[in-house]
Order: sequence, then structure tokens, then C-alpha cells
Amino acid sequence: MAIRLVGYSFSGPVLRVIICLKELGLPYELEPPASYQSLKDEDYIANKHPFGKMPVLFDGDFRITESRPICRYLVSKYQGKHNDTILIPNDVHKAGLVDQFISYELSYYDPPLSKLLYQEKIAKRFLNKDPDPEVIKQAREELAKVLDVYEKLLEGKEYLNGEYSLADIAPCPSTYYVYGTVTHSDLWDNRPNVKNWWNRLCNRDAIKKSLEEAKSFLENYENV
Amino acid sequence: MTNRLIGYSASYPTLRVIICLKELGLPYELEPPASYQSLKNEDFIANKHPFGKMPVLFDGDFRITESRAICRYLASKYQGKHNDTILIPNDVHKAGLVDQFISYELSYYDPPLSKLVYQEKFAKKFFNKDPDPEVIKQAHEELAKVLDVYEKLLEGKEYLNGEYSLADLVLCPGTNYVYGAGHSDLWDNRPNVKNWWSRLCNRDANKKSFEEIKSFWENN
Repeated sequence: MAIRLVGYSFSGPVLRVIICLKELGLPYELEPPASYQSLKDEDYIANKHPFGKMPVLFDGDFRITESRPICRYLVSKYQGKHNDTILIPNDVHKAGLVDQFISYELSYYDPPLSKLLYQEKIAKRFLNKDPDPEVIKQAREELAKVLDVYEKLLEGKEYLNGEYSLADIAPCPSTYYVYGTVTHSDLWDNRPNVKNWWNRLCNRDAIKKSLEEAKSFLENYENV
Repeated sequence: MTNRLIGYSASYPTLRVIICLKELGLPYELEPPASYQSLKNEDFIANKHPFGKMPVLFDGDFRITESRAICRYLASKYQGKHNDTILIPNDVHKAGLVDQFISYELSYYDPPLSKLVYQEKFAKKFFNKDPDPEVIKQAHEELAKVLDVYEKLLEGKEYLNGEYSLADLVLCPGTNYVYGAGHSDLWDNRPNVKNWWSRLCNRDANKKSFEEIKSFWENN
């Protein structure tokens, strides 16, 4: 039975799960919701996500929500079954550090990045609000400080935990969008370790394919 | 070699780890930092937490940061070794759901809760700022909506995932603060939530941990 993934492929959290599914060699069916508003319908809240969010994953009858837990579940269950890709190491200490880096992404990297994402990609296009230059300036400064830390964390390493892991997948979607606005790509490009890390990530098959999928979905959504 | 935990027991992410250590029957040494400012020192950032935060755990030479990641590590390594307490089930589906509920705490429960913790417990005492009634009102309303969802999630269950797990543990420290700071109605007005919170308060590890910090607040 195929895995069903409810969500829009261009939504950051959904894209995180798509990258993970591709990395693990898992087939899946994507089910875009009718609309963002439909996520607040009684039926959606009762049967998909109690807080009205995406993504939602169905593995047979088993339902799980929240992108990072979904990824961890998929890894725990399927890692090594279809290919050799290791996203969470078996060693308890290495796994602990991968978890720590996922927490860094969530706690420190994502907040300013999400603000930039909202201002540059979402506000005008989906909500008809002008971007706020003050918020953008502040978010940029905050993200610059975070990336200074990442520059040190990546010293002498190709990936956050040495070898590629779930910790590197987590920041990909939002980074892709904000980097792609061009006005902010300097944040990554001006830091050699960070720049090389980002280039490495962009060259991974699963990530390349996932980002292409999101890009074409977004372009078609635009034309609707 | 004992676990070393860097942090203030009154800081609720640190308390999360303390409760976890107690639940697993693990001895530990608490090392409070010199001050909040010392977390931004070069030495702390280089050798403890690159973002200048607490808690930090040293298990021998192994260093790990971020409270929920620390708890998962401790459960993975030590669960079942000193007692029977299971914080993360072995079954991959049950473990996935525990992880999901931890994410609900992080994404939806903690944001309004942490605002209330700051306003009610820390603003005046540690930062000499008056609590902001507008922020408190908004956070209270937001948390009320979240707890309406938790009321449904707990229907027919004693704990979030049926049996007690890390999913319940993670929200204990912050809840203890806000419950005791004039917002107890949020939990008490919802029968499932109220019973669940009572059950949690009756767990030894929670009882001992809450007592420990009570004396901290009384003496400072």
C-alpha cells in the first residue's frame, strides 16, 4: 500500500517530507488539499490534523502529522530497506547529535528565515500585503548571526553531523526559497563553509528532484 | 560517570531534562551558570552551547544541547536500565505518535505558554519589566484554543499517547508555572485536561522536581 501525503509540495514542511521520502526510495501519492481554507474544515480537523495544518502522512491506516516527526518515523521504519541512505545514524550518540541539529534548525535558523520567506514570497502574492522593509532588515540581521554560528558548526565538516543526515534536510525548503529571491543569497554565499554545504545539498538527487517538483507546482498554482 | 547538567532548575527547559533524569532513575550533577550573561561568553559558546543557551548535558565526554533532544537521547540510551519507566515506546508507530505529540507541544502549546511564563514569572523578578496585560490576555486566549484541542486529544485517554510518555513530560515544567500563576482555569475548566494534569502532578518525578524549584522561588 502506497504512502499518502496530504499537502502542497511547495509548502516548506511538506517539502521536507517529500525530500525524506525520495531519499529513502519510498513511493508515495501526493494529495493536495482543496484550498488552504479547507484545512480548517471540521472534517479535516477531525480526520487529518487537529490543528488544521499540513503535511499529514498516511502509511496504510497509520496517520502521523508534523513534518519532523513524520521524517523520523519514515527513517525509523524504512531506512536501509530500499537503499543505503542513512538519515539517522544507528549509534545513539550520533543520533542524539542529529536530533540536536534538527532542534537548532527549529529554534534558531527557521524563525528569521520564515519571516523573510513570509515577507518576500507570501505576503504580496497570497495575502495582498506589501512586504515590510523593517521586518526584512531585522530578520536578515538575525539570520546573519545564526549563519555565523552555522559557519563555525560546519568547520571541517561536509554536513552538520559530519555525514549527510536528516539534520541537513530540515533547513532545505525554506533556504531554497529565500536563497532564490537573490536579494538574500549573499547570506549563504558570503560564508565559505555554509556556501559549500548549501551547494552540496542542492546537488543531491533527492533534493534536486524535490525542489524542481515544488517549483513547477508553484508556477502552476500561480496561473490558477 | 554521572551526567552533568548545566542550567538553572528554575529555567523550564532545564527542568524538562531534570524531570527526565528523575523518571529514568539517573543520577546527575546540576551546574548552575554564573549568570544569564555568562551564557554569551566566548568560552560558553565555544564549549557548551553555540547559541548561548541552557541546558547543556555532558554524559562523560559526550555533549548534547536542546532540552527535547537531550531527553530523547537519555531515553534512547538509558530507558529500562534503572527502572521500568518507558518514555519512548519501542514500537515504531507508537514512538512516531509520541514524537508527533512532542511536536504539538513545541509548535502550538509552548508559544503562548512561554509568553505567560515570561510575563508572570520572569519579567519583573529578573528583568525589572512590568508584566504587559495585553500580551497576557492574548496569550491566555491563544492557549485556551490550544487546550480545547488537547481536551479532544485526551478523550478516552489517560495520557496523550494512551500511556505516559515523553509527550506528557515535555509540557510539565511550563504548565506548572502558568497553572500556579493565576491561569489554572485554563486546565481546570476542561475535564480531560484537568484529570490529565492532576495525574501528571502526582508522578513522583514531577512532585520532587516542582518542590525543588519552589524553594528556589521562595529564596530569590
